Amino acid sequence: MAKLPILEFPDERLRTKAIAVETVDDDVRRLVDDMLETMYDANGIGLAATQVDIHRRVIVMDVSDDRSSPRVFINPVYTPLGEEREPLQEGCLSIPEYYADVSRALKVHVTALDRHGEPFELEADGLLAHCIQHEHDHLEGVLFVDYLSPLKRDRIMKKMQKRHKQLQDA
Amino acid sequence: MSRNSSHNSSRHNAPAAGSGQEVRAAAARALVPVITDQGSLAALDEFSVVARDRSLLKALCFGTCRSLPRLEALASLLLKQPLKRRDSDVQALLLLGIYQLLYLRIPAHAAVGETAGAARLLGKSWATRVLNGCLRRLQRESEALQEEVDQDPNVALEHPAWLLDALRHAWPQQWREIAQANNQPGPMTLRVNRRHLDREAYIEMLTENGFSGTLCPHAPDGITLHTPCDVSALPGFAQGHVSVQDEAAQLSANLLGPALAPRPGARVLDACCAPGGKTAHLLEQFDSALTAIDSDNTRLARVEDTLERLGLKAQLIHADATQNDWWDATPFDAILLDAPCSGTGVIRRHPDIKRLRRKEDIRSLAKLQAELLDSLWPMLRPGGTLLYATCSVLPQENCDQINAFLERTPDAAVTTPEDVAWGQASGSGRQLFPVEGSHDGFFYARLEKRPA
Repeated sequence: MAKLPILEFPDERLRTKAIAVETVDDDVRRLVDDMLETMYDANGIGLAATQVDIHRRVIVMDVSDDRSSPRVFINPVYTPLGEEREPLQEGCLSIPEYYADVSRALKVHVTALDRHGEPFELEADGLLAHCIQHEHDHLEGVLFVDYLSPLKRDRIMKKMQKRHKQLQDA
Repeated sequence: MSRNSSHNSSRHNAPAAGSGQEVRAAAARALVPVITDQGSLAALDEFSVVARDRSLLKALCFGTCRSLPRLEALASLLLKQPLKRRDSDVQALLLLGIYQLLYLRIPAHAAVGETAGAARLLGKSWATRVLNGCLRRLQRESEALQEEVDQDPNVALEHPAWLLDALRHAWPQQWREIAQANNQPGPMTLRVNRRHLDREAYIEMLTENGFSGTLCPHAPDGITLHTPCDVSALPGFAQGHVSVQDEAAQLSANLLGPALAPRPGARVLDACCAPGGKTAHLLEQFDSALTAIDSDNTRLARVEDTLERLGLKAQLIHADATQNDWWDATPFDAILLDAPCSGTGVIRRHPDIKRLRRKEDIRSLAKLQAELLDSLWPMLRPGGTLLYATCSVLPQENCDQINAFLERTPDAAVTTPEDVAWGQASGSGRQLFPVEGSHDGFFYARLEKRPA
């Protein structure tokens, strides 16, 4: 397993639309393992392949408190269940140290392939539902800051550029 | 996705400082840009210290800035030879150490030991001995050394010479009191959102929650807390019941009252609105159609946050008020020009102003203020009101500025009230000086455009 570098906003590569995985083979499983390691190492609860500059439709997640329930979604598709939406504070490994409330569907129905290429279905709500929608957005090139006002997004962009400059200088 | 909770703190790059030495090292790093004239203290938030050390970090940095000229004079007496520029972090530690010994109630052994020990965290173990030596000598010869540096009045009053000269020249009676008030921390004053409740109701809420405060004598929505606290601890803060705003700053809504109260839906412009305290106060008090502009997009985003928290709406535009390209050519009924200024009335809240502000800045700020007045005046309808405000105590930015404007603007008439209990008449406006335990230094002038 290997830890992968995570792209950070406003990196344009985060805007790439990912393509579907045709066959879930050993290469894909290796990617899944590397992504899980990367996510755990960064203390994230979800990671999309887009964030590690691999533009395939692969998501890993673990929303459990004790970091014991890794989940893998390959070629995920979700549909909201009902009209209900709720705001939840989100952060993103590609936008470190910034958090904001984002309103998303409270409940979703998901279909995806698991690490063996087997299809599965899932009904999710709360944090898991939020996280699925957040990671799915990554595969479409969408970031949670896109839901905020242009003023706020601009401010985050400046903050991130400053951070990148500092990291470069250090 | 990531969560904003304790278990992802390990991914922050800066290690969290905990011990006394780490706070002092963080404070030294924060002070370096100020003492080397390269920047302000604004970056304080970026230093990662655990919550219980944050107030100490702030107290150390603000206090050291506030007393900088005097601390520097003492440091140069204590050092056999000046420190090299690349060791300005060691210099910062020395200033912090002196500040703690003379101004804070920190046990002397802790002040000396933790400060000298912090040099190791900066990678400068050699400095531990120097710092120990200097600070112990200060303990032994404290009185004699202070007496020696205080012979220079600039040092005794902890102000740069140019500023003290300017104050003495402008206010021969009050300059000493102004300087002394600048050296004391300002109180924490609240503005109660009258859309939610009045201040009498809120002061009861404060009392129930273990806080104590006094109703402000001049600002009708103001409460001054007896002890400052973290805003998030205030009852109803997140719900928008209350904001932090100095009493003098709250007077702008009083002054615009006669123009706005009888005229619901009036078109109002807040020309330099960030960070939005006055903007929000106007919206809390009057049903106006308010346009708020600022030339700094980052600061404008803070205005947006403030209005969001308070549940208020204004049209926010990122624009420069010296230009009119953003204006839809419909005149405003009232304009608030809270002009960019030297901040010499709020030094006690921004002590780095003493260091950052230069004599030359005053002229360029006055020029900008004049440009703003000239650019905004045509946007006011005949019969409309313009309120000019600064948090400065220097006449060039205040009474002289307005006098010059009146001279070149024949349709401007002064309507500044004379029968108020605050401040003193100054030319065509009113000047407030910073008062210990009370309001900041401010200037207001109210002008009306004569109908054509």
